[in-house]
Amino acid sequence: MVERSVRMWPDPVLSQNCTAVDPIGASALIDDLLDTMYEANGRGLAAPQIGTLARVFVVDVTWKEGTRDPRVFINPEVLSAGDDIVTMDEQCLSIPDLPMPVRRPENIHLRWSTRDGQTQTANFDGILARCIQHELDHLNGTVILDHQSPEDRARLEASYAS
Amino acid sequence: MIAMTKRSILIHPDPRLKTVAASVTSVDKDLRALADDMLETMYEAPGIGLAAPQVGIMQRLFVMDCIKDDMETPQPMVLINPRVIASSAETNIYDEGCLSIPDQYAEVERPAVVKVEWMDIDGKTVQEEFDGLWATCVQHEIDHLDGKLFIDYLKPLKRQMITRKMQKLKRELARG
Repeated sequence: MVERSVRMWPDPVLSQNCTAVDPIGASALIDDLLDTMYEANGRGLAAPQIGTLARVFVVDVTWKEGTRDPRVFINPEVLSAGDDIVTMDEQCLSIPDLPMPVRRPENIHLRWSTRDGQTQTANFDGILARCIQHELDHLNGTVILDHQSPEDRARLEASYAS
Repeated sequence: MIAMTKRSILIHPDPRLKTVAASVTSVDKDLRALADDMLETMYEAPGIGLAAPQVGIMQRLFVMDCIKDDMETPQPMVLINPRVIASSAETNIYDEGCLSIPDQYAEVERPAVVKVEWMDIDGKTVQEEFDGLWATCVQHEIDHLDGKLFIDYLKPLKRQMITRKMQKLKRELARG
């Protein structure tokens, strides 16, 4: 028998607020997140998706095209977001086979801690900004279904259940 | 020196996964080596249970370890000729997966608590009660010894869909 490595919605662990962590003690969790993300064929994975309620996520938006570029974000915070809002289909490893459109700012200014505890800030745009916002949502107990209108959500949930 | 070897795991559909396995008649050196190989194969996969028919050996034994937290001490178990001697009326639903049906998961309802009797690796008869994930895993593995898979509990449509995916996967694996 095998257990799922990624928690599936509506697992309650995906609807909870995560707590800040000390970057120095997070390295086993980070390795687990990266391994699980690559194994599950994902571009991003947040700690609650493997059952840990910690403010940590990883993204790699280029590995599927051949170059690995793992990025680790600990205790991330959006300091500001651009005015341009873009709608794009997103998928979530915790809600398999159910892509849905999500509206998000095109640009964000982010602050976070690195693996070795350094605080960094940077601007992100494009697919990386989108991925980061998707994963950051997970740390606040939000999934892509929570971005849908009640009617769309009901329709999506019905097709997810079948 | 103990040399453990990883064995290859059969992928559904395979007639050996549909066959009832034969009782183990004696616990000898070869059986112990098989159990070691099965544990190695299970941990490597990684999985929490592996039955002998899944590695093509049609004998009634399986290995399991439901400790998933890396911080906890592993608890490898080998169960030979296991049988459920009592099950609770209360049931549990668990999202099951199987090393012979990669990447497919489905909810299966089973008794929440089972009492199981088996022979351990020293040939001694043991009884124990299992609950939680352990209970689900024990029943999933005993099913393998009876030629039964977790997808046999699903509605035919879902089962056929999974079987088709597995046939496709096997064709891809065969092509290399």
